Amino acid sequence: MRGPTDAAVAAPRTSPRRRSWRTLATRGIRDLVANPRLVRFLVGADLKRTHQDTIVGRVWWVLDPLLQLAVYFVLVGIIFQRDLPDFALFLFAAILPWKWFSTTINDATLSITGHESLIRQISFPKIILPAASTVAGLVSFGFGLVALALVYVFFLDRVTAWLLLIPVIAAVQFLFTLALAILFAAANAFYRDVQNILRHALRLWFYLSPALYALDQIGNATVRQVLALNPFAVLFDAYRRVIYGTTSPLGGPTAPDWAGLAILTAVSLVVLVIAVALFKRAEPSFAKIL
Amino acid sequence: MSGPMERGATPTDGRSPAASGRSAIVVEDLGIRYNLRLTRRTTLKNSLGGMVRGNQGPGHFWALRHLDFRVGHGEAVAVIGPNGAGKSTLLLTLAGILEPSEGTVDVDGRVSTLLTLGAGFEAELTGRDNIDLVAAFLGLDGKTTAELAPSIIEFADIGPFIDAPVKTYSLGMRARLGFSIATAVTPDILLLDEVLGTGDQEFRAKSQHRIRELIARAKAIVLVTHDLASVEEFCSRAILLERGTIVRDGDPAEVVALYQERTTQQKLLAERAARFDGGTAPTATA
Repeated sequence: MRGPTDAAVAAPRTSPRRRSWRTLATRGIRDLVANPRLVRFLVGADLKRTHQDTIVGRVWWVLDPLLQLAVYFVLVGIIFQRDLPDFALFLFAAILPWKWFSTTINDATLSITGHESLIRQISFPKIILPAASTVAGLVSFGFGLVALALVYVFFLDRVTAWLLLIPVIAAVQFLFTLALAILFAAANAFYRDVQNILRHALRLWFYLSPALYALDQIGNATVRQVLALNPFAVLFDAYRRVIYGTTSPLGGPTAPDWAGLAILTAVSLVVLVIAVALFKRAEPSFAKIL
Repeated sequence: MSGPMERGATPTDGRSPAASGRSAIVVEDLGIRYNLRLTRRTTLKNSLGGMVRGNQGPGHFWALRHLDFRVGHGEAVAVIGPNGAGKSTLLLTLAGILEPSEGTVDVDGRVSTLLTLGAGFEAELTGRDNIDLVAAFLGLDGKTTAELAPSIIEFADIGPFIDAPVKTYSLGMRARLGFSIATAVTPDILLLDEVLGTGDQEFRAKSQHRIRELIARAKAIVLVTHDLASVEEFCSRAILLERGTIVRDGDPAEVVALYQERTTQQKLLAERAARFDGGTAPTATA
């Protein structure tokens, strides 16, 4: 049995200020991996909550990304007349992972403040809450892949074995998303401004990321190089290469940019460890300030 | 809580006094500090404003300070005192929900608080699913939960609703299920905020019976209460808390008497002050 009781038996509880950052990070990571059951139930609850009380119920899990695709396709493909071939697939390769990221960050930001009464009444590892939001986002991304399979019916010539790399890219995205989810969840407990700012920041982030366009369509080299530093430039490029192909020169699916993914993985891991340590440092305050 | 509690049942039956071996709870120089600048719903504007104005006023206050006590195996300790004395803060700290700002708290064994009635319920999930969820929050593993589930369902006694989403429950049904989950495991150390009963008349009797069982089986009990009768009924020792510090720690009858004496005194003082100042003086919280 895990739990505060066992920890209490092992060592008396003392002021968190006396703990080193290293201890905090280690404990936080232990919290994350030691409670798979709790994560599973929370994710289950989250999935049941969304689209509950709708006529087609769980079909929404697949329908939702398709409708989102339709909106952007009408807006960018028809009104702005982008002339890339198989444009729907080009869009979908970026819309799906972004939907996961934005949903998770929004949910995670509210995960601590939204469980106020629970936090004041039960002692449990709070870091599980943003982690569950991230896993729930991953599951909905999985449903999105079903939608992707449906879209592929129109673009069968773009189906290749490169698609098998989607889980690898998703793993990198998972680390990056988890790190930010944990950071924002803790920050919002102290400052509710975070949730308000984030709504707009996420939208700006989306437009600055090459989701509705390709980076190489940008004429100004400096702007292009700066935008390429965006983690989502790396991720969208990777997804797009294995799902859609390349834009300049135009070509079918191919290998992702491994160097970019490797750097992003390393950065995500560093940010994750920092986020976990900061979260554990802030955790004891939650019950006092909520 | 004055209810249908039978007098004369000695809750300390079968428990030996504190003397032997390790204590169940050891509290040393405990302090809990609240930061007044980071309270409920702070926004950046408030705290930036605070910085600009040069942080006037006290930045924090100690809800508890310099607390030292031990609870031995077999002891039942009542914590009494006026509102705002830090009783609930102490309970939350023993439960591990608040961490000490100063000093240490060492608790030996599985702690259970009955603060958790209905906490952690997800409205969209069925009662059955919520049992799994709350059990996971409480740190129970899958096997234990599966073993306990039938008795939890039986005790809650909400019929076919157990397979309906919790959002369809009445308040009483939520409380019944919450109580059943919270009391399903016999804790080593039982932390109680009032000896409460839940729900309708019939369930209230049943829940008080269950609490008495837990009290009889727990290795140590800390009870926070305003009901001075239950102090002497259930407890072998009492602690009087005032403004975050221990005023007296000892025999229940003696501590209760002291508390009553101080309360009356403060009331008299307050009344006298009110007479002289035309009612503007701060009244004692008692």
